[in-house]
Amino acid sequence: MHPSLTPRILLFRTALATALLVAIMLACAMIGPQDVSLKAALHRPPAGAAVSPDYEILVRVRIPRVLLAAMVGAALAASGVIFQALLGNPLADPYILGVSSGAGLGAMIAVIAGLNWTLWGRSPIAIFAFVGALGTVWLVWGIGRVTGRYQVTGLLLAGVVVNAFFSAMIMFLVSVAKSQQLHATLFWLMGNMTEEDFFVLWMGGGGIVAGITALYFLGPQLNVISVGHEDARSIGISVQRVECIAFAISAFITAVAVSLSGLVGFVGLIVPHAVRLLFGPDHRQLVPLSALVGAMFLVVADTAARMVVAPAQLPVGVVTAMIGGPFFLLLLVSHSRKVFWPR
Amino acid sequence: MVKWWLLSAAFVLWTALGSVIVRPPADATRHGPGARTSVRIVSMAPNLTEILFALGLGPNLVGVTQDSDYPPAAAQKPTVGSFWQPSIEAVIAMRPDLVVTQTFAQHRELSRRLRRMGYRSLEVAVETVAGLSEGIAAIGEATGTTGQADALCASIRAEIDRLGTLTAGTHRVKVLWVVQREPLRVAGRNTFIHEMIELAGGENAIGPTVHIYPAVGSEQVIAARPEVIIEPAMLPGAMEQQRQQALAYWNRFENVPAVTAGRVYVIDGDVVSRLSPRLPVAIETIARCLRPDLFGD
Repeated sequence: MHPSLTPRILLFRTALATALLVAIMLACAMIGPQDVSLKAALHRPPAGAAVSPDYEILVRVRIPRVLLAAMVGAALAASGVIFQALLGNPLADPYILGVSSGAGLGAMIAVIAGLNWTLWGRSPIAIFAFVGALGTVWLVWGIGRVTGRYQVTGLLLAGVVVNAFFSAMIMFLVSVAKSQQLHATLFWLMGNMTEEDFFVLWMGGGGIVAGITALYFLGPQLNVISVGHEDARSIGISVQRVECIAFAISAFITAVAVSLSGLVGFVGLIVPHAVRLLFGPDHRQLVPLSALVGAMFLVVADTAARMVVAPAQLPVGVVTAMIGGPFFLLLLVSHSRKVFWPR
Repeated sequence: MVKWWLLSAAFVLWTALGSVIVRPPADATRHGPGARTSVRIVSMAPNLTEILFALGLGPNLVGVTQDSDYPPAAAQKPTVGSFWQPSIEAVIAMRPDLVVTQTFAQHRELSRRLRRMGYRSLEVAVETVAGLSEGIAAIGEATGTTGQADALCASIRAEIDRLGTLTAGTHRVKVLWVVQREPLRVAGRNTFIHEMIELAGGENAIGPTVHIYPAVGSEQVIAARPEVIIEPAMLPGAMEQQRQQALAYWNRFENVPAVTAGRVYVIDGDVVSRLSPRLPVAIETIARCLRPDLFGD
């Protein structure tokens, strides 16, 4: 517990991070392979005339994409915090319990089956990925519960094995897929951002923000649980109930994120660690700050993904690993003396 | 407890508000496809670019993908990203009246996104020899060049028939078409390459397989007894180098007829891996490998 964290400090830091995030999003919306004039974009076309390409690119392509990157980054980073805390394992990330392979398998099935319809503006890939992700977490959670006393070890092992099994199935499908189908899924498996419809952003954003807020509410309980289950029980916290709720919410927001953007790696692993290294391990602060930093990180990474090989683009997962890896190592070396790993 | 209720209420309210204010997107197109002279066209694949040029629409092309290099004028056109990772921003900046795409997932997705913004797109499935003619006809219809499209299809057909007569009645040469050497991957029967081999008077040495481009072992290569091995060159500039590497690799198969007869060919990959109006050229290139005597080589 960090007595130094007063509500005022928390509010100040959160507000500062929010302001920074908004600034970064605005700046990144102005960067892109095509030069866009803000004046032309905001100029109202006369009635009946077509909107300017500047408006279309900025408002209908870039802003939705920047918003999407922020949402996905926030969701992955926040659920990374929870998985690291509950599993007591610094290697944990949102994908550790099989979300990634479950979603990947779902997406792969949708691509191979050649489905071509949309539901509320979502493609079959997104819907199958969402169902696959939640289904897998549920399966792993169920196996973990059966193992009883050694629940965390059981969960981790079940997660690792289910991940490996589903990955093998993905590899099987990859090997029988047509080369064209293959390419589509490869990009999806490395994280692929596109602009989404505002309705999708609205709904996804609502789910993610509500999920993160709920995780923030659980902060005090998570603080006690990460010290030790016995301590938590002794002061009357129902460990299992808190764990169950926290897992369900993080799995849900991860599944939403994955279905929106494919498998963006690394954000959920390094952002929580980076925030913990810089600001300490209090979950009341870790959850909101990680979410905000995760959002900033992914917005920047996605802008790089759009720009580096423009007018083509890179899968954003490649960029998160390439920027994130070295940056995190630097942070680890320079702050290693004040590391507070969970438990 | 109160805060949890508040959060749930806010979430429900937000969702309800969303379905009223923002509303789920409709997949309607602002202007449906149909015959219309398209002044500004963007092509999303090298072979589609070749078709558009062959239809005389070169001057109307305002954007192509990175690998569109034939005819040479195509390489001068502005690019809108790569075939696999097109940039929607670049497409929009070209203000196209028509965007022509292929039909696989990524192109479908791009065309769906463009339609949502009111752009007109045409998806054509050019994956088989028959699909090429259908694709040309569909593009002709969408761009008001049906006459040119019919003429183009007829001339391709005539050329193919001419080559067919030339190779007719001769022995069907068994061909192994190598897509990749290590690990070994070859063209299976469900590909347009297989069709081109047959049209060139050959026979695919590989029988029916589950995979479209199956990975095969040395055992299958020896058992298939190919009389000719063809490798399309990946980089046009490095054909000679690839030929040397191919010979060095294939020499280990002493009992394969193609190797003993020295009939391992490395040919221009661009011509044979794009299904375009240059199809007769591709078939002739293959036929020259199979039956050099027919062409007086």
